[in-house]
Amino acid sequence: MEQPIVKLHNVTKKIGKRTIIDRLTLDLPLGEVFGFLGPNGSGKTTTIRMMVGLMSLTDGEITIGGHSITKEYEKAIRHVGAIVENPEMYKYLSGYDNLIHYARMIPGITEHRVHEVVKLVGLEGRIRDKVRTYSLGMRQRLGVAQAILHKPQLLILDEPTNGLDPAGIRELRDYLRLLSKEEGIAVFVSSHLLSEMELMCDRVAIIQNGKLIDVRTIRGEHAAKASNRVVIEIDQPQAAINVLQAAGLAGELEGTNAIAVEADRESTAAINASLVAAGIKVYGIRAQVKTLEDQFLEVTGGERIG
Amino acid sequence: MGNFLPLIQNENMKIYRRPRTWVMVGILVLLVLTISILWLIFGERSNTSMWDVAFMESSILFLLVTIFTVVIAAGGVAEEFTSGTIKLLLIRPWSRSKILLSKYISIMIFALLLAIILFGSTLLVNWICFGINAGPDAETTFVGMDGGNPFSYMLKYYGLTLVSLVVTVTLAFMLSTIFRSSGLAIGFALFLLLGVNSFVGLIAMLDYTWIDYLLFIHLNLTQYLDGNPMREGMTLGYSLTVLGVYYVVFIALTWYIFNKRDVAS
Repeated sequence: MEQPIVKLHNVTKKIGKRTIIDRLTLDLPLGEVFGFLGPNGSGKTTTIRMMVGLMSLTDGEITIGGHSITKEYEKAIRHVGAIVENPEMYKYLSGYDNLIHYARMIPGITEHRVHEVVKLVGLEGRIRDKVRTYSLGMRQRLGVAQAILHKPQLLILDEPTNGLDPAGIRELRDYLRLLSKEEGIAVFVSSHLLSEMELMCDRVAIIQNGKLIDVRTIRGEHAAKASNRVVIEIDQPQAAINVLQAAGLAGELEGTNAIAVEADRESTAAINASLVAAGIKVYGIRAQVKTLEDQFLEVTGGERIG
Repeated sequence: MGNFLPLIQNENMKIYRRPRTWVMVGILVLLVLTISILWLIFGERSNTSMWDVAFMESSILFLLVTIFTVVIAAGGVAEEFTSGTIKLLLIRPWSRSKILLSKYISIMIFALLLAIILFGSTLLVNWICFGINAGPDAETTFVGMDGGNPFSYMLKYYGLTLVSLVVTVTLAFMLSTIFRSSGLAIGFALFLLLGVNSFVGLIAMLDYTWIDYLLFIHLNLTQYLDGNPMREGMTLGYSLTVLGVYYVVFIALTWYIFNKRDVAS
């Protein structure tokens, strides 16, 4: 793995007596789309706010590109582009003036670059109109535009697919993947939309009640192997489990009249044969593919907020 | 890091691209015109000096300059918070102090601009109405006993009111930063300015020493122009010192709070 661009070390945030974020430790490498997944109120936005210096840390340290966000803010934030929550813009200015506003704050952004970015997010037609007249999707695009103006090394997007239509979501997804692979930047995306994260991210960190629960690889050679769980519908589950046990397999009850067992393609056929031979009626066999959603609900235990 | 000027350019853009700013300028100039024209119609041109009208207009309308600048100053920080744009503004390679400074400077530039527009328009309008071929009996009456030059008297007047304007606007700017609500900041600043000023004369008569340190006793510096201060023994230097202390406290509080605060929602 490459040298991580962002390091969170024991990051803790307390407001009053409540611990919002509890000793969060996380490294983000360049060239990856990293998902930050958690139910509402789990501390995603708080973590992002601390990463961009909008909130102070109660304890721990965040470094971006080797610079501490608390001690060397201006250096650390220089290579970060971000949208925190909704992309709020100056409504009384045009989209173009909004971009010029942010471009002026970082040296070296040419007018040419502004036009390039406008084209990239597909706002050429409306960029001279006041932001007041924009739809949520257009504001989201403008938000992405201001975040990538200065070609950041780390792009932080808080719920970026909010308000985008399916075509827009797909476009954004492809673009983020392109940015991470071609330009080698780190993209940090937060969301509670699991299916979306599955398509967009290389790795996903799952956070709940301010604690990091798990980091999972979704793509690439390290990706977890597809689960080989097979669910078999039968009339006598207990008898079937005994048959499997005799064959050295651990089956478990799944509902009232089904069992689940780990098995690949070939052994599924063998299990079926032995069940039938034992006089058990087999009504159906299906492979159970675990989605990220199942995994997510599994690790967060489907717990309620608060 | 980098060049500070673009930040002020940004803040100026946010002030001057809004129609309300130009409505304010328009109202100011229009009122100058209206008063002069009414005076011309109902007054007698032959014995009216342009300086008298210009001075009268300035003393009335400077209050409007203060109110308008307070409105802009109160919006300065608070509106970034209420609209949520503060989040995108702060995540740039600039310290919070410098971003706040750019806002403060652009507001001060706006205050100066309004004062200059008022000064210029009163002089120009009244020169056209009363100055050209001035009537034979026109004599300037407002200038103090010493009978000095009316132009330099006006300049002194503007200078002194500008000092109080800066203190008032800094107060509004501080309230805007503390409360993050422009309505509250405008309301509070104007209440202090108008409400307290209307009974400040009463307070000034009380015989307690702590009254000497009240901000509002000193906000009206023009009391020294004609040499009759509100409280006995007060001098311009003393008032300026008290205002200076308040100013430093306001600025320190504003910057401390803005730097310290977590930006949530």
